[in-house]
Amino acid sequence: MANLLNKLRMLDAEPKRQAHKEETSAKKTEGCYRSEAVFPLSTFCNRAHATQAVLESIYGCEFPKNATPEDILFLDTETTGLSGGVGTIAFQIGIGYFTQDAFVVEQLMMHDYHEEAQMLQILASRMKRYSILCTFNGRTFDVPLLKSRFLMNRMKEDCFPDTHADALFPSRRLWKLRLKQCSLANLEEKLLGVVRDDDLPGALVPQTFFQYLKDGDFTPLLRVIDHNKQDIVSLAQLFYFLCKQHDKPEEIDQVEDLLSLAKAAEKQGNLQKATKCYRLCAHGSTRADAYRALASSQKRQGHADAAIKLYQAMVKRGDDPIHAFEALAKLYEHQRKDPEQALHYTRQALLLLSEPSLFHDPTVQEQQIALQYRYQRLRRKILHASDLLDSR
Amino acid sequence: MNLDQLVTQLKSDPSFMQNVTNWETLPETEGIYADLPEEMDERIKQVLRKRGIHRLYVHQAESFRLASAKKDFAVITPTASGKTLCYNLPVVSSILQNNDARALYLFPTKALSSDQVSSLYEMIQALDVDIKAFTYDGDTQGAARKAIRQAGHIVVTNPDMLHSNILPHHTRWVKLFENLEYIVIDEIHTYRGVFGSHLANVLRRLLRLCEFYGSRPRFILCSATIANPVELAELLTGREITAITENGAPMGKRHFVFYNPPVVNRQLAIRRGVVNETRNIAEQMLKNAIPTIVFAKSRLQVEVLTKYMKECVRDPFGFSGRVRGYRGGYLPNQRREIEHGLRAGNIDMVISTNALELGIDIGSLSACVLCGYPGTIASTWQQAGRAGRRKDTALTIMVASSSAIDQYIIENPEYFFQASPEHALIQPNNLYVLLSHIKCSAYELPFEEGESFGNVPDTGVFLEYLTENRILRHLENKYYWMEEELPSGEISLRSAKTENYVIIDITNPAHHRVIGEMDRFTVPMLLHENAIYMHEAKQYQVEKLDYDACKAYIRAVDVDYYTDADLNVSLHILDELEEKTLPNGVGLTLGELRVSSIVKMFKKIKLDTHENLGYGEVMLPQTDLHTVGMWWIIPASLSTRYSNDDLQGALLAVTNLLSIVAPLYLMCSPRDISVVYQVKAPITDMPTIFLYDAFPGGIGLSEKAFQMQSLLLEHALQILNSCGCENGCPSCTGPVGEIGDYGKHNASIILKELLS
Repeated sequence: MANLLNKLRMLDAEPKRQAHKEETSAKKTEGCYRSEAVFPLSTFCNRAHATQAVLESIYGCEFPKNATPEDILFLDTETTGLSGGVGTIAFQIGIGYFTQDAFVVEQLMMHDYHEEAQMLQILASRMKRYSILCTFNGRTFDVPLLKSRFLMNRMKEDCFPDTHADALFPSRRLWKLRLKQCSLANLEEKLLGVVRDDDLPGALVPQTFFQYLKDGDFTPLLRVIDHNKQDIVSLAQLFYFLCKQHDKPEEIDQVEDLLSLAKAAEKQGNLQKATKCYRLCAHGSTRADAYRALASSQKRQGHADAAIKLYQAMVKRGDDPIHAFEALAKLYEHQRKDPEQALHYTRQALLLLSEPSLFHDPTVQEQQIALQYRYQRLRRKILHASDLLDSR
Repeated sequence: MNLDQLVTQLKSDPSFMQNVTNWETLPETEGIYADLPEEMDERIKQVLRKRGIHRLYVHQAESFRLASAKKDFAVITPTASGKTLCYNLPVVSSILQNNDARALYLFPTKALSSDQVSSLYEMIQALDVDIKAFTYDGDTQGAARKAIRQAGHIVVTNPDMLHSNILPHHTRWVKLFENLEYIVIDEIHTYRGVFGSHLANVLRRLLRLCEFYGSRPRFILCSATIANPVELAELLTGREITAITENGAPMGKRHFVFYNPPVVNRQLAIRRGVVNETRNIAEQMLKNAIPTIVFAKSRLQVEVLTKYMKECVRDPFGFSGRVRGYRGGYLPNQRREIEHGLRAGNIDMVISTNALELGIDIGSLSACVLCGYPGTIASTWQQAGRAGRRKDTALTIMVASSSAIDQYIIENPEYFFQASPEHALIQPNNLYVLLSHIKCSAYELPFEEGESFGNVPDTGVFLEYLTENRILRHLENKYYWMEEELPSGEISLRSAKTENYVIIDITNPAHHRVIGEMDRFTVPMLLHENAIYMHEAKQYQVEKLDYDACKAYIRAVDVDYYTDADLNVSLHILDELEEKTLPNGVGLTLGELRVSSIVKMFKKIKLDTHENLGYGEVMLPQTDLHTVGMWWIIPASLSTRYSNDDLQGALLAVTNLLSIVAPLYLMCSPRDISVVYQVKAPITDMPTIFLYDAFPGGIGLSEKAFQMQSLLLEHALQILNSCGCENGCPSCTGPVGEIGDYGKHNASIILKELLS
């Protein structure tokens, strides 16, 4: 047996480090680490906006009737890696919830592997009480990982709340255009004004835990716990801010956010909300986009006149005139049945496209071909109509 | 002309027949049938009857019976004997009985798995039941993956995917693991050497997880004919395996022709080129519109032959679609289109690498031409099996190249036609491989104290070692994973070590491209700086070898010399595992070795004249290989008969002969083993011939060589005797220039003495 161990040691051509004989017995603790922090309700100013209707409009799925802020459990975990395989463990779990008079962040951490089951048991008993789970990217990361850990510990998954509101996806829809990067850190900084000092970078979390297992020094882990605590507070704040934006678009002062909101509403089929938001952002840098969207929405609803007016306004202001001319050509040909005017607009669009600086753009070439085709068809139509007149 | 007429014509053509060393005609055989098993589901019976299947072949019926008796078994029958039904019938039948039942199919290649799924679909569609069969591999789309995990009754995948994707994420596959009834592994003879040793461990991991989820799947395995299918199957699965060897499928008459191109230079034993000879023969097939498959050994050969053949059939409009090439590197759609064309009969000739050797359904062709010996008997039969419908005549012509192994086969047909001597060897307990998979398995599920991985008795030592290296944490009675990364990511099943060097062609400064890979042990020999490196018959010079970054930069050149590195090998015994002295005084040892090799200089040698043009220095560190080897110690009574020079020549000759013979029996490529001699070996103090596995930790080759050493020596002697050369040639002992004038003669005496 010793022989085999020696052979194994020889496998490493160059021994990397002297192996330490270290303490391998369990840390003497009474169960897993638990802590609680309480925040005043005033930290969370937009709670009233999280109504069932608003939540359903954000997520496009059903939410429990008369859900109150007290029905939501916020959750974030710290893990031993990001690979997402079965060997990755959530060694620290943070949850946040509202009581009548405060927001409570409860944090659990295993001191060592043998405490995982107990930690998961506590989590399960908490989750049972809530009908909505709120996370940041938990849909793809934290929840599958936790479910995997439940399975490995032969525990049932039925304690997970039925409704899962993940803040990442609606955040991306709303802020990606303006803020580009939608990590929780960036969102909290730009939207909530949170400044973290001495925050532990997320990438160092696994190593911090492994180092603690090796040397038993718990202090660095306090930084992990702080980091996680702030994540949960930010998550809750962000979530309610998100609700507010959806509930009161008229109070949004960023046109890009309004445009994003409008597009999201349009995608979900909420045309009323979409139109409202497009109108709100029909100025500034988003004017062209808003007009185009409004016009095409009018067109789809069969309001040709309104659409024409909007496109003409675009032409007048020089907002994406090629697109506007083309759309006008279509409207005049098919709705107004006026091929001559349609031909005029087509010609205008082609004229703009003949700008030499656009020559090498392949999409321009495609557009050109389509317009030329339209041009010829309209010419034929007009000629044919006059032929018919002549023959009569 | 039809095939029978062509056969008659070839037989009466003296210019063809003078090169034929053997013409074997295997008679037509009748099928052996059995009734549809009584316990088989009525719905399956109906589907079979509708397809005109009223009886099964006896091996299919036996498979169904063994499956019903809950046995693990292996079906060992030739290509095109209807093996698919051997596993599809029991699997589908078990799912019909229990809709929760699951099965996992493993195929060595992607193309093979997609082909198998389509044949499963046909059966399921005919049954009109809700059984879902899916391929799960690198090409499977993200959205489809989820559906497969949840609902796939039959998951078809490959060992690599199982290793890197399914096992490390097993909690997503709960349904599969909880209800796994069958593990089907086709073509198990392809899992040998490193790949097989890895697969055995992947299966240990799989079974360990099945135990966690409470299932106990059974194995259905299929293999081509080799010497030790049951041994291989048992090593792979760790289970006792029942073998089915009686083949019930009927077979048409088959002609198997060995064709040796004529000698053009007697002295150097050079023959007419194998590609040109293959071309001439294939042309005759094409002219007579006989559907033919040509197997070539490299992608380049495929391209060259395809070009020649296309020229033959090109019509005035430049169309030559009746001839197609087929090889890895073609796009999947293109491959499917060619396969379809073959089945539909729109293609008269396909020229392929061994990519078409394994069971992809391409219908049946009439003739098969092999451009060179495929390397193993099992492969040869599989390739030949691509020609011939169940009742019609089939013709296979094997054209030998001038390589030593080809020449041995072509001159020794009895070796080929007698019971297969090929042993598929694996070493599941190779330390490197085993340690890698114990890591993976510990990641997948913490080990408990006293638990053993597969049947590895010392699992605990491995776990302690990993704990010592802080990869695992030993706590209470369990070992927990304590690293960030997934261990499977850095383990490739297809090589022993991940450390491969990439070869980068920098001829075009704007477009560097990777043209190949080489293992760490060969790099100092062939890729040292200033070496002339040959790739697809083109010369390159190594400009820079970045040893630490594992990269070699080469540039195309046109020079009239080649380089030959001077390799210094020293051997150290780490452990003697088995030792005996034969009655004739020859000492025989099996043991663990450390092979240290270092290249210090290289020679530049002029092409054609072989003049020495000068030397160059090589500054590379020594590489160490820990492996398993066996060695013959030659007694003084024999060695003292020769002068030092003569002994050296004779030992070199024996060494060369053994390197030809060993791969034939150990079913490995010549590169997988090394045979070296030392006139006075420091470790034995005597003249010694060493044979060792060229893989870290060994893959079972030397152990087998140790057992069958006298057989190896006998066949070495046979090659020497049957070779027509006078004093040695590259096809047997090596050229006279290297072994000396009496090398061949003395080698023959030494071999006889070793065998006495």
